[in-house]
Amino acid sequence: MYGQQESASPSEAGSQEKAVVHSIKELGQVSAPQAPEPEVQPFHCLTIIGQIEGHMVLPPRNKTTKYEHVIPQLVAIEQNPKIKGLLVVLNTVGGDIEAGLAIAEMLNTMKTPTVSLVLGGGHSIGAPIAVAADYSVISATATMTIHPIRLSGLVIGVPQTYEYLDKMQERVIRFIVEHSRVTQEVLREMMFRTGELVRDVGTVLVGEEAVRIGLIDEVGGLGVALARLNQMVQKNGEGGIQ
Amino acid sequence: MLYTVVPLEDVLEGLEEEPAPTMVLNVRGYSLEVELLEGLQARVVRLFSTDPEHYLLPHCQPGAVIKLKEF
Repeated sequence: MYGQQESASPSEAGSQEKAVVHSIKELGQVSAPQAPEPEVQPFHCLTIIGQIEGHMVLPPRNKTTKYEHVIPQLVAIEQNPKIKGLLVVLNTVGGDIEAGLAIAEMLNTMKTPTVSLVLGGGHSIGAPIAVAADYSVISATATMTIHPIRLSGLVIGVPQTYEYLDKMQERVIRFIVEHSRVTQEVLREMMFRTGELVRDVGTVLVGEEAVRIGLIDEVGGLGVALARLNQMVQKNGEGGIQ
Repeated sequence: MLYTVVPLEDVLEGLEEEPAPTMVLNVRGYSLEVELLEGLQARVVRLFSTDPEHYLLPHCQPGAVIKLKEF
């Protein structure tokens, strides 16, 4: 066995040498040896977890999604032709409005097909991120809380503060309405509903309910989300994963 | 401005505590802000780079623990 291998390798080296000589004769150049390219998965997965951190670094006890890190990742995904689709998995309690809307806008304007999957929770500023994807899926047990923006521990005493708060509120509502099937009337009604949350106004939507009002496209899990992503990739003529 | 279901006092608990001191490593074409740990290890706090591909590297994710001798 060993001897056979010994005898096989010189002839192999000889034929390789011949090939090089051949290419020099024919083309006048030798091709440089190429390092194998690192394997890139066709679908990438971005997890939006815990608090969405914005301008303020949150204390270490919070689990956070750092937007300054997520945004360049989205740029890398968008620029890499080998990445065919992005699955966004959400389990977030909300967070910074500006950071949340920034991630939502980035997702929304990407050409790479995106599917969002709400698992556990997609509360507050998580809602615009969920609807920003091309297609949104919510698991049957996941919840989304729709409630007004508030400043805890601060009494709203001047009209300017109220107006500012209202403007922030408008940005979130407008984004959700523009990127899902839910109407502004329904969303506002849910946001300011009393009696549903014990100490607050707002509505908790569980799985199916989020689909019924048109906020999310479908109830399902990983299988549904990946199948949809594959479908979108194939529609783009890229050929998804088998 | 925060828009969250978690009460603000819970989110901000421990805000007054001083964050651990950090240093910046300039390596492999990017800068990593790290918090030094024991045994020549460091925890990544933040990555500075204009190459978006760097943000997909596993050892550049915030919270990743790296061995300093490899850098």
